[in-house]
Amino acid sequence: MRQQAAIAAKVFIQRDYTNGTICQFQTKFPSELETRIDKQQFEETVRTLNNLYAEAEKLGSQSYIEGCLACLTAYTVFLCMETHYEKVLKKIAKYIQEQNDKIYAPRGLLLTDPIERGLRVIEVTIFEDRSLTR
Amino acid sequence: MPGFSGGGVGGGVGGPVSAPPRPFRPSRYVPVSAATTFLVGSTTLFFCFTCPWLAEYVSAVIPIYNAVIFLFTLANFCMATFMDPGVFPRAEEDEDKEDDFRAPLYKTVEIKGIQVRMKWCSTCRFYRPPRCSHCSVCDNCVEDFDHHCPWVNNCIGRRNYRYFFLFLLSLTTHIMDVFGFGLVYVLHHRQQLDTPHAAVTMAVMCVAGLFFVPVAGLTGFHIVLVARGRTTNEQVTGKFRGGVNPFTNGCLRNISHVLCSSQAPRYMGRWRSPQAVEVQPPFLRPSLTEAQLEAKVLDNGIQNDRHSTRSKSSLDQMESQSADAEPPPPPKPELRYPGLPRADTEESSLLTEAPPTPSMYKYRPAYNSPGRNHTALSHPNKMIRGESLDSPSPSILQSSRQPSYRSEPSSLDGATVVGGSVGARRGGGERGEGPGGPGATGVTGGMSGYSLTGRSYTSYPSSLVLSAGGSRSSSLRSAQTAHNPLATLQSEGTTDTSYKSLANQTPRNGSLSYDSLLTPSESPEFESAAHELSPQKPHALFPLATGATITGQSEVVSPSSPLQGYTSPFLSAQIAQQREGQLLQGSATFSSPHRAYLRAVSPTPPSSSGPSETHHLLQHNQDSTSRALRAPSSSSSSPGVRSLEPPVSPPPRSLSLGKSHSYTGEAGPQHKPRSTGGGTVLGGGGAGGGQQAPQSTSRTVVANHTTSKPGGGVKKVTGVGGTTYEISV
Repeated sequence: MRQQAAIAAKVFIQRDYTNGTICQFQTKFPSELETRIDKQQFEETVRTLNNLYAEAEKLGSQSYIEGCLACLTAYTVFLCMETHYEKVLKKIAKYIQEQNDKIYAPRGLLLTDPIERGLRVIEVTIFEDRSLTR
Repeated sequence: MPGFSGGGVGGGVGGPVSAPPRPFRPSRYVPVSAATTFLVGSTTLFFCFTCPWLAEYVSAVIPIYNAVIFLFTLANFCMATFMDPGVFPRAEEDEDKEDDFRAPLYKTVEIKGIQVRMKWCSTCRFYRPPRCSHCSVCDNCVEDFDHHCPWVNNCIGRRNYRYFFLFLLSLTTHIMDVFGFGLVYVLHHRQQLDTPHAAVTMAVMCVAGLFFVPVAGLTGFHIVLVARGRTTNEQVTGKFRGGVNPFTNGCLRNISHVLCSSQAPRYMGRWRSPQAVEVQPPFLRPSLTEAQLEAKVLDNGIQNDRHSTRSKSSLDQMESQSADAEPPPPPKPELRYPGLPRADTEESSLLTEAPPTPSMYKYRPAYNSPGRNHTALSHPNKMIRGESLDSPSPSILQSSRQPSYRSEPSSLDGATVVGGSVGARRGGGERGEGPGGPGATGVTGGMSGYSLTGRSYTSYPSSLVLSAGGSRSSSLRSAQTAHNPLATLQSEGTTDTSYKSLANQTPRNGSLSYDSLLTPSESPEFESAAHELSPQKPHALFPLATGATITGQSEVVSPSSPLQGYTSPFLSAQIAQQREGQLLQGSATFSSPHRAYLRAVSPTPPSSSGPSETHHLLQHNQDSTSRALRAPSSSSSSPGVRSLEPPVSPPPRSLSLGKSHSYTGEAGPQHKPRSTGGGTVLGGGGAGGGQQAPQSTSRTVVANHTTSKPGGGVKKVTGVGGTTYEISV
């Protein structure tokens, strides 16, 4: 009985460009979700995602070392090693999965990893709540 | 290979959304093959003929050093060639739908206090993020688009800019090394220059010397770009000529961002994890307050049913709202949001919307498919007639309050249709920009290798931009299309009224949309829309110059009549200039397309005087002597025209050739004596269709031409391409 509920609507959380092209999403709570989830909960999720993306794009020692190593090995190191950004993306994917399992799916929502949309939007799928139509 | 993905060939392979396969074009591979041949060939010859002697008689380190530099150059060359530059996957259908029907062509966003426009990409179906541009060679939107490099046959974007930059640096170094060591060899073998070794060395030196100049020039150019935090695209289109670049973080940070940031991920060809979460009702609900229950839930995004039914249900919903009651909505919407009574609080919920771009929804239909065209078209026509009976202006005022441009049904549908009818056709625009690409390459001396086919710097009609005053409205930019003189009807809050839906239309037949849209019933909206015009948005009347005037003649005797009472000096002057530029272009160069356009639209003219009037005007354009009689008015209007020219002269002429209507600046230098006279005539004639309009409008032009700057508090910076950046002062 793995029948998913029908999709009722989709909300797209857009990127927040106020600080340039760094990856940030708008934390503004969309009105479509007002009846489905707490505002705090949702904003917390988006804020955590923003922090994770900031960590991925950070110009820190790790990225610097990675760059030097890549230059020295004529970029062959990319064949065997995962870049810092990719590592954080995996972390983000895990976080989203966990959020979906714990918080969003029980409320009939589903977050889609924004990397699938080119880091342009976070897609929130709203499922039909048939139980209330009875 | 995690690091590599096909850069120049099509979209992601096996990705979530991939571009359609493109035809194989061997000519694209000529420059990259030549570059590879020269690089590898010359270096091999150098190693074979020059290095043995150098290793023996000078130092053994030399060949090793040269080998390292050469390998580094080759590695960066390969990365620049084969790495995905940061291609965005096409947006999926459901993401597009929420914006499709009535969304504007541009979305403005504020970045560090500077207004930046995001353009709708009709190919990729999303609003291009800042610094993103669509490469017509690769047919992809590329993040942080720099340029399309033919020597590597790939776009240079966010992901591979670093490798390209290092390639340039290392290649310059390599060329200098080869030339230098070759020179050492030749100087030591002055007596034996006829030996094959010496001959080959000299040949290699020649090749190296030949390539050194452009490569070093390009390297220097990119060093400056990196230090300033700009892309080639931004530099060449002059986006930040006014001086403020919102994307820079200071020289050191810019350099470290280019060289030391972590490799950006690719978006195409990603492994999509299967959805492991099971979503089953019953669902938890947060505790709802009374106010929340009363709030209207917006109908956003995809539904299970089709577009036509969605718009239909939206229409039903809207009509029921006008009754201002709280009855349950029609059955279909109720299924989606069961148990929640809808109230007439659409405006309040819209006002709380996130998108920062207020706009009027004027045009509902989307042209994604022929089928949809028809169904969607029937609705706005219906809406127009229904709404036009009421007073359109209150609805316009209403719409201007609403900050979001979501595809929400609203009572402003009637008024909105007009804007949509004259909205830009982005399809045509995209096509029109193509020729601008090669034209732009000539601008950069020595950078002949670039083909700036990015489409973000679309706006040639920078004169229109300038004349649009402080408006951020880029709807004028949609005057990129050759067939779209009705680029902009702007009668709303801040931005443009060129609509995505029109851009998404296939640009086959320029008259198609206008035929269907420019019906007599629309003109009342147009007229009332003119009421809404503020000093900063004069281009509302711009479209009148061609098609709209023809069909809207009888009803709209006066789009200008409200203006006469309105007397916005800036407005009138701008109209005169715009009209002049447009009709000059039309008459001088593109008279036949214009006439063809007029013919196409004229099947439904309410009065036959319309086309003849415009023809009359076109002919008057070329007759400068008679116009010179209007000397007082013309001389007064000319400073306004001339002042616009200098900033506009830089854009390559080739950019504007294809665009008939744009450009006072373009027409100005060529037709100076005529333009002043013509401007007055056009200002008079174009503003209204009726006979009485010319004199009255020209009077207003004379009286009120002086102001040409937008209101205070905002500094406008315009670039070559006509892109506008507003800086709050």
